[in-house]
Amino acid sequence: MPRSVVWVLLVGAVGWALLTADVEMAKLTRAGPRLWDFLSRMVPPDLTIWREMLRGLAETLRIAILGTLFAVILSAGFGILASETLMRPAVWRPVRTFLAMVRAIPLILVAMLMVGAVGLGPLPGILAITFHATGMLAKFYAEAIDNVATGPVAALESAGASSLQKLRYGIWPQMAPVILRDTVFRFELNLRESLVLGIVGAGGIGLYIQTYVRSFQYEKAATVTLAIVALVLLSELVNTLLKKRFS
Amino acid sequence: MNAAISLSGVGHEFDGTMALAAVDLTVMPGECLALIGPSGAGKSTLLALMDGRLRGWNGRAEVLGAGLNSDQPPRRQVRADTGFIFQDFALVDRQSVYQNVMNGRLGRTSHWASLWGRFSERDHAVVGAVLQDTGLADLAERRADQLSGGQRQRVAIARCLAQEPQLILADEPVSNLDPAHAEKVLALITSAARKRGIGVVFTSHQPELSQRFADRVVGLRDGRILFDRPSGLISERDVSEVYNGAMADPQLRVVS
Repeated sequence: MPRSVVWVLLVGAVGWALLTADVEMAKLTRAGPRLWDFLSRMVPPDLTIWREMLRGLAETLRIAILGTLFAVILSAGFGILASETLMRPAVWRPVRTFLAMVRAIPLILVAMLMVGAVGLGPLPGILAITFHATGMLAKFYAEAIDNVATGPVAALESAGASSLQKLRYGIWPQMAPVILRDTVFRFELNLRESLVLGIVGAGGIGLYIQTYVRSFQYEKAATVTLAIVALVLLSELVNTLLKKRFS
Repeated sequence: MNAAISLSGVGHEFDGTMALAAVDLTVMPGECLALIGPSGAGKSTLLALMDGRLRGWNGRAEVLGAGLNSDQPPRRQVRADTGFIFQDFALVDRQSVYQNVMNGRLGRTSHWASLWGRFSERDHAVVGAVLQDTGLADLAERRADQLSGGQRQRVAIARCLAQEPQLILADEPVSNLDPAHAEKVLALITSAARKRGIGVVFTSHQPELSQRFADRVVGLRDGRILFDRPSGLISERDVSEVYNGAMADPQLRVVS
């Protein structure tokens, strides 16, 4: 496509969005004092709720860990089925289409469906995270399999290695850092996503945020927010350390 | 004495092109044979066939007394007995030099124990000796992707030697090296083979080096053998014929 056409399309899209959005810019001028009032009510954070906060955080962490674990197990199978090098087009094409459809369904919608199916609590959260994460991880795993260099594997076969030995010493060492990087990245995403699952009743600390904000207990909501920020930063730190270790 | 390699009427067609045409070739144990010829002559294809990795060929082929099958790879024992040095080294980059060389033992060692990362004392002894022979002992713990091209080349040779092969096949083992390193590498391969009394077949674009290190030189062009003579009897005309007179001076017709 010519570059000029791309620019016309881009400018057209932005212009359309600006002109047709129902945005009252005047509201922005009134938002400042309100926002300040909202934030000032969050100070100082109420630390007396630390027990509930820890309980909520632990549940969120459990949802993320178990959701990731089950997604990894499912993705291993779907990843193999979606691999272009291991499977025939008649297999990997429909599997990849299915995974794309899974990814296209918003997590919050899946969580609501799961709450409807199995009731309130962490279980629908775990199921929703598992479902949603599998759509992405299986695709990543399939790409990791497809990107393995065939030369070293052929060298091992030539040396008399069996299929399992080729997998253990030729394929896995090439795939492992990619698999680990993608899994840790997905865990971090799962953790962030599971924070909001409580809002629809699917367990975790999201429920506390919703409860405190709706009941105007902003100082308690502030405590929960700080705890979430700490948890996300910690997970990013672990992610970075793991990447360095296994690069 | 049985031949290490015996090919009879071997042919192979690839994408409508005749890669190998009715090739007859015999290599005896302990013999060092060089395959020379221009790019696309069929050298690498012939070597892959000898290694049991080529599919869809016709004719008869025996390596180390075992008949090769055009439809499936050779038995584990035959693959372990045939060492192959790949042109692009084919190392596992994230593994250490030691593990890459140990990979050469996979066809010899206990299958299930190796899957748990356990190798026998003999495996470790062989790898240790090979690392010494190839001058890699000090680099044993270094990752393969942290090595220079020449060092990677030596790891590929060490992996092949760790197999304790009965035959060594080497695809363009010196194509990426300067003349001094090329000599060293060919000396390393051929001396290791002579020490073990095993056959070597290597491909090369360098007729002069091939003559110096091989007992016999085979000229290949368009998948056909043009000549098969002891190295001392290779003439400039032979070399000229196989490279099709791209230049007037055969000495300059050495392609790196």
